Amino acid sequence: MSDAMEGNLNQIVEVIDLHKSYRLGKNNFVHALRGTSLSIKKGGMTAIMGPSGSGKSTLMHIIGSLDTPSKGEVWLAGNRIDNLPKKKLPKLRASKMGFIFQGFNLIPTLTALENVALAAEYKGLSRKESAKLARERLDVVGLGDRIRHRQSELSGGEQHRVAIARALVNKPDIVLGDEPTGDLDTETSREIIQMMKEVNMTTGTTFVLVTHDPEVADSCDHQIQMRDGSIVDDSASKIDGSTKTLS
Amino acid sequence: MRLLRNVFRRKVRSILTILGIVIGVFALIAMGSMAEKLTLLVDGGIEYYKDKAIVSEGGGMAFMASPMSKDRIKEVESIDGVKVAQAEINMLLEDLEAVNFGQPPMIVGTDLRGQEYESFEITFAKGRDLKEGDHKKVIVGSDLVNKLDAKVGKRIKIRGEKFEVIGILEKTLTGPDLTVVMSLADAQELYHKTLPDVLRKELKAEDLVTGITAFVDEDHDPDKVAKTIGKEIEGLSAMGPKAFQDQIGSAVGVFSAIITLIGLVALMVGGLSVVNTMSMSIAERTKEIGIRKAIGASSFKIIRQFLMESGVIGIIGGLIGLGLGIAFTSVANAAGNESGTALFLVTPRLAISAVLFALILGIIGGFFPAWRASRLNPVEALRYE
Repeated sequence: MSDAMEGNLNQIVEVIDLHKSYRLGKNNFVHALRGTSLSIKKGGMTAIMGPSGSGKSTLMHIIGSLDTPSKGEVWLAGNRIDNLPKKKLPKLRASKMGFIFQGFNLIPTLTALENVALAAEYKGLSRKESAKLARERLDVVGLGDRIRHRQSELSGGEQHRVAIARALVNKPDIVLGDEPTGDLDTETSREIIQMMKEVNMTTGTTFVLVTHDPEVADSCDHQIQMRDGSIVDDSASKIDGSTKTLS
Repeated sequence: MRLLRNVFRRKVRSILTILGIVIGVFALIAMGSMAEKLTLLVDGGIEYYKDKAIVSEGGGMAFMASPMSKDRIKEVESIDGVKVAQAEINMLLEDLEAVNFGQPPMIVGTDLRGQEYESFEITFAKGRDLKEGDHKKVIVGSDLVNKLDAKVGKRIKIRGEKFEVIGILEKTLTGPDLTVVMSLADAQELYHKTLPDVLRKELKAEDLVTGITAFVDEDHDPDKVAKTIGKEIEGLSAMGPKAFQDQIGSAVGVFSAIITLIGLVALMVGGLSVVNTMSMSIAERTKEIGIRKAIGASSFKIIRQFLMESGVIGIIGGLIGLGLGIAFTSVANAAGNESGTALFLVTPRLAISAVLFALILGIIGGFFPAWRASRLNPVEALRYE
């Protein structure tokens, strides 16, 4: 465990000197992340902002174990995850993380209930248990009466709520959202932000949201600004100064 | 249910793929059931010939044998190992008008000398067996009942002569099903009439036989006895069970293998369409695969899901193909029964292996696409539009 993690157990995520480069063509490398370090407080809401190509989605994918860094360390709830063997990652994602994607990304052939239950099934729960949990979560997001509807029968806001219920079904340590309000109109967007805040406050689930939307950022208690693969501003460092080497 | 919804998310495409499997399984059932029927016929023959040597003049098969003198029975019985020799007339029930697959309907006339030594079990559905002194009486094989409109006690016409039906055989699925059995004397008369004028004037009906069946002692090898008959009696040749198996069995074996292979090729083509469909389906669902991986699906679960989908395509196609195959062969057999030519036999092993093969083909067809799906990078898959 790193010194930072040992010393600060109320941090859910610790990222240390993270680099990520992609090879484009024979000798051409794109550096998506250039030595990024940050800490995310347990139970908080963090917004990662920045222009397109700034590396915010790459950072989120690496924190979410969907991608691997070229260099650096990622710690989740006191455990280092960047060097875990590939076959252990699905279980990690199923049990510790929830994802909300831009465009909701529901599976169109499945009903709202099945979409939510699927995440619990992947965690290893039986179909029956998964369906029970999914029904509870859909109740929480106010869709208890829409569980048999498929994506095409739900409004954008409803689809989004299904995605939130899916992200929460396994009681994850952290929910990662990639442009979670990107496809929504202002009113629905507000409604969704409100819902995430409520879940955050009532359950203590940590949210990390990659966003362009200033309203989303404003509703978060921690904002991170990125540019060209580096963090250029981190509100947490202004408050307690305990983290990060800003690049 | 989820599985079926996924399979039928592109209805037309899935139905066409299933149709490919249906056609393949149907072809396999149609071709395979013909092979099964032939194999059973041959197996029945092998069973029948296992303790016998079939003697004919100059060689040739029973139903195309040339006439020979009945007196030759004594010569055959003089050979060591021959228990008893039975004189027979084997002739076609009617002259063939077309090329016939399998066995044509036959008349067998027998002097019943071997009756008590017969090891090939035949049971009667109705009526009784022939006995000494029966005249103008016949036993009818099960596949000829409709064709001849036979009922026990009823008189039927065979080659222009009237005969009383005294027994109807239980189905054996082999040679006897297509056979009418009568006394040697009755068959000799019928056979005599079929001879060309010149021969008819020269030969007496009661002297004629077309074959002799030598019943071999248990402690003698029928193949060796057959060989001895051929060697020691001039002008006669004899065939033991091994010769029957070698000549007929292997020829039918090759024929069966070829027609089964044709069915298999048809099914393989269906299998290739599964590969195509699953590849397209997985390409379209790249993003879905990314979502599944992001929310915790392991590679194994992704592979299992797509294999189950392709397996479902295989099994649906297999079951429909089997149903159509059974329907077709039943109708064809019913139509053929009128003329005494039931060509197809759908055995449980054929039905089970055809459906199983379709299922396995579906799974194999889906394997490569499913494996590729499981290897997709979740980040790239999520970006896919």
